[in-house]
Amino acid sequence: MFEGIPMISIIILLPLIGSVITFLLGKRESYAKYVALGFSAAALVLSVLLALSFAIEPSRSSTGFHEGDHFFDFQFYEKYEWISSLGISYTVGLDGISLPLFVLTTLLCFLSILFSWDTKLRPKEYFGLMQVLEVGVLGVFVSLDYFVFYVFWEIVLIPMYFMIGVWGGPKKDYAAIKFFIYTHIASLAILISIMAMYFESGVGTFDMEQIARAAGTEFGRTFQIAIFAAMFFGFGVKVPMVPFHTWLPDAHVEAPTAGSVLLAGLLLKMGGYGIIRVAIPTLPVGAHELVYVMAIIAIVSILYGAILCLAQKDLKKMVAYSSISHMGFVLLGYATFTQIGVVAGVFQMFAHGLVTAVLFMMCGVVQHKCGTRLIPSLGGLSKKMPIAATMMTVGFLASLGLPGLVSFAAEFMVLVSMFETWALWLFLPIISVAITAAYYLWALQRSMFGPLTDKIDTTHLRDVDWYEGVPVGVLLFLIAIFGVFPMIIIQVIEPAVGIVTALFGGG
Amino acid sequence: MEVWNYLEALIPQLLLVLFALLMPACDYIFKDKRVLSVLALAPLVGIAVAEISWIFLDLWTPPASMISLIEVTPFSGLFMLVFVSVGIVVVLGSPEFIKSDRNHGEYYSLILLAITGMTIVAEATDLIALFVGLEIAGISSFALSGFRKSEKRSAEAATKYFIVGGFSSAMTLFGISILYGVAGTTSIQGIFAALSNPPSPQWVLDADPITMLAAVLLLAGFGFKIAAVPFHMWAPDVYEGAPTPVSGLLAAASKKMGFAALFKVFLVGLIVSKFQWEEAAAVLAILTMTVGNLIAVSQTNMKRMLAYSSIAQAGYILIVLPVGTQYAVAGGLFHIITHAFMKSGAFMVVAAMGAVAIGEKLDDFKGLGRRSPWLAFAMTLFLLSLAGIPPLAGFASKFVLFSSAVYASFTPGAEWLVWLAIAGVLNSALSLYYYARVIKYMYMEKGPVEKISLTPMLKIAVAIAAIMVVVIGLYPDAVVHACEHAASGAFPGLPGGFG
Repeated sequence: MFEGIPMISIIILLPLIGSVITFLLGKRESYAKYVALGFSAAALVLSVLLALSFAIEPSRSSTGFHEGDHFFDFQFYEKYEWISSLGISYTVGLDGISLPLFVLTTLLCFLSILFSWDTKLRPKEYFGLMQVLEVGVLGVFVSLDYFVFYVFWEIVLIPMYFMIGVWGGPKKDYAAIKFFIYTHIASLAILISIMAMYFESGVGTFDMEQIARAAGTEFGRTFQIAIFAAMFFGFGVKVPMVPFHTWLPDAHVEAPTAGSVLLAGLLLKMGGYGIIRVAIPTLPVGAHELVYVMAIIAIVSILYGAILCLAQKDLKKMVAYSSISHMGFVLLGYATFTQIGVVAGVFQMFAHGLVTAVLFMMCGVVQHKCGTRLIPSLGGLSKKMPIAATMMTVGFLASLGLPGLVSFAAEFMVLVSMFETWALWLFLPIISVAITAAYYLWALQRSMFGPLTDKIDTTHLRDVDWYEGVPVGVLLFLIAIFGVFPMIIIQVIEPAVGIVTALFGGG
Repeated sequence: MEVWNYLEALIPQLLLVLFALLMPACDYIFKDKRVLSVLALAPLVGIAVAEISWIFLDLWTPPASMISLIEVTPFSGLFMLVFVSVGIVVVLGSPEFIKSDRNHGEYYSLILLAITGMTIVAEATDLIALFVGLEIAGISSFALSGFRKSEKRSAEAATKYFIVGGFSSAMTLFGISILYGVAGTTSIQGIFAALSNPPSPQWVLDADPITMLAAVLLLAGFGFKIAAVPFHMWAPDVYEGAPTPVSGLLAAASKKMGFAALFKVFLVGLIVSKFQWEEAAAVLAILTMTVGNLIAVSQTNMKRMLAYSSIAQAGYILIVLPVGTQYAVAGGLFHIITHAFMKSGAFMVVAAMGAVAIGEKLDDFKGLGRRSPWLAFAMTLFLLSLAGIPPLAGFASKFVLFSSAVYASFTPGAEWLVWLAIAGVLNSALSLYYYARVIKYMYMEKGPVEKISLTPMLKIAVAIAAIMVVVIGLYPDAVVHACEHAASGAFPGLPGGFG
């Protein structure tokens, strides 16, 4: 469909052009949202068309991974020389692992811009930065050159720093700088790892595939363990994994709603994506040696995140901690090293992106209409805001893993693969399923149902506005579709994951 | 052989001196002092164009030097380009800043003379020529720091700088005289030859301790110039007291002259005894970057903060000495180039703030994003680049610099070098804290709202630096290539270390 057209670059360029135009609007600040919405809509449409023309090929796992020109199966591949003296090229491509996340990015950015429709404070900068963020995240998911990957990875930090710092809540200064420095230190671990792999592989290029191919012969066992540990730390902070999660609640609580949506929906996925795209396939021996570390951290994150949720009074903080718990499932899926487990991990990222976006948007609605998110001050809101209450209920149910909604499929697959690998240790993550149901239902009961609260003025309480309802509605629709037909996504992810798991002889 | 052949290689210096001498005279002739800054720009732009068309465009090749004391190589060419580029930015930023002062002629004259001295250091092949260059640049800078002689801070800065400078010159000279005693020559190549072909084993035993003494003295002497810890105490006081454009010149150019000298003396002349001084240099590098960054965190005056940030950046560049590969030198050169632009740019922004009488405190930057969006945006670029955030120039150069240490650590016996890279990136993370804080003040704090209007020349000065920071960041290839070429040409004796 798009033979010979550099589609990926065009899609990345669209929000970039949009952001430049937005920043240059000058006094006509009120047009900023239209420009941003237009360009992100164009990117969304093109990326959906791209996804529809994505060819699903049978897994190459049966034929071995070292054949052919590419280490992975990439489509829409583009490569241009950039810094030839260091062997750096602008290389991008999509495969089954990155495609769902790529489309998720354009979708969530579009919906977040729509959701922020009534932003009054510096709209020009707000919508401009949002599009810069989209450029960075899209770039991370498509780049196949370590240098380019790292550049996009770091670009993401700057708009997010400003979004928290300028449009955030009362403790925004602290949260913004903590987010920036915490994740920057993690990035530096990745940077050192990239340098080490570049030199150790001896291929004289930062091309991910070439380094991955050379890794089999050039990377010794100790080297793999050391670099995998560094990479796992670097990506794990973004995921975030316990005990490196403390930046997340601060950042989420202070960030504006759209910032939280993008932070939880996309930025956390960058960490999960990095592990499966870079760390595991390039350093399979290191991954294998540290599998128990991965599994333990995953289970601790799942349980600890869930328990923390029980204790939260702030609705948004609870949702933030639930992300730690749910992203733990991604790591757990990876740690099984089975086909089904890794597929489930990738699928869980996609599912969590959709679901958590709904949850944060609903927190935003509550904050916006009631002026507070503290659960004890709320109560009986369903009487005044029936649509909001319905949406929030469906969102919570999706997040706690109700069958028929998207998270169930993903988490169920993770648990199945966990059982295959570690049998009855399954009981540990299973506990979290109960805790998750508990905190969501309890929160729902206290905030939405029961007698109407008298702690806030509810006489002028309005239901959701159109620009809030539409994005949530779209997301809920997709949550249901992919919950009933998870195969749509899974069949895309599976062949690409097959190449990775073939490295371990899994199937 | 005609006289002309001898002078050919010295054309840039002659040009600079000629204009420097013309300046005070022109001060009497022209009432409009902006003419002076345009006149001062003429030789700088001329040299910059010549260097760029040689190194990057390959349009011509300068004739080889007939004087044995200096040589014209891509290495010296790159340094000269750094010096004149900083000169251009500083001269462009000056008229607004010094408009209420007297003696404009002398001011520009001293800037040109300082740059002359720096270029001599870059081209020197002999310790005597090197020392003369250091002194020409040094004495001009002392006078420049005290340019506002009626102002207490400025006079104090000049006095301090003069005493410390004299002290460091004495140490440098002492080191040179010892090396002369050991090697019987002041030529850097000659010293290398003497140390690498000792007449007898006994000579080695006799010469070793005294060579070490010379190395320590030279490291200290040049350490003062680059403000390496523990020889850094003067820098914040001088940068704070000196007129802001001059601080920019000191941080972005004068410091780089110290590196040119260090590289030449240690990586050519004393390379034979590298195993003896490499650990000291490594400790110095880590100490310099860490102390610089730690103290910068608590600064409330922008000029002092930038001074400590310069100290930290010098620490990054210092890792070139212990790593000691051509690739590392290329990384060091690259970082010297990018640092010249981002630091001079940052100082010009501070100068702009001073020129419109807002102030140089961190608090004065509150709300700058509203008052002057372009100035705040340029400052954001400079600060993020200094912190090493891609895709800006500072990231690219730190990438090359630190990766050279990672690569060198793959050599058996040199594994410890990787700690230099780790110290470097951890320090980059630390530095992000105080750079990001300035950005926070500019965009997130409420401040006065009245707009700031700047003169076109200041705008051009900031714009040049900002454009270079972005362009080098997005397209570093040409610069990396030039740096690698310069490094392998100037240091053929070092291991390559290219990936």
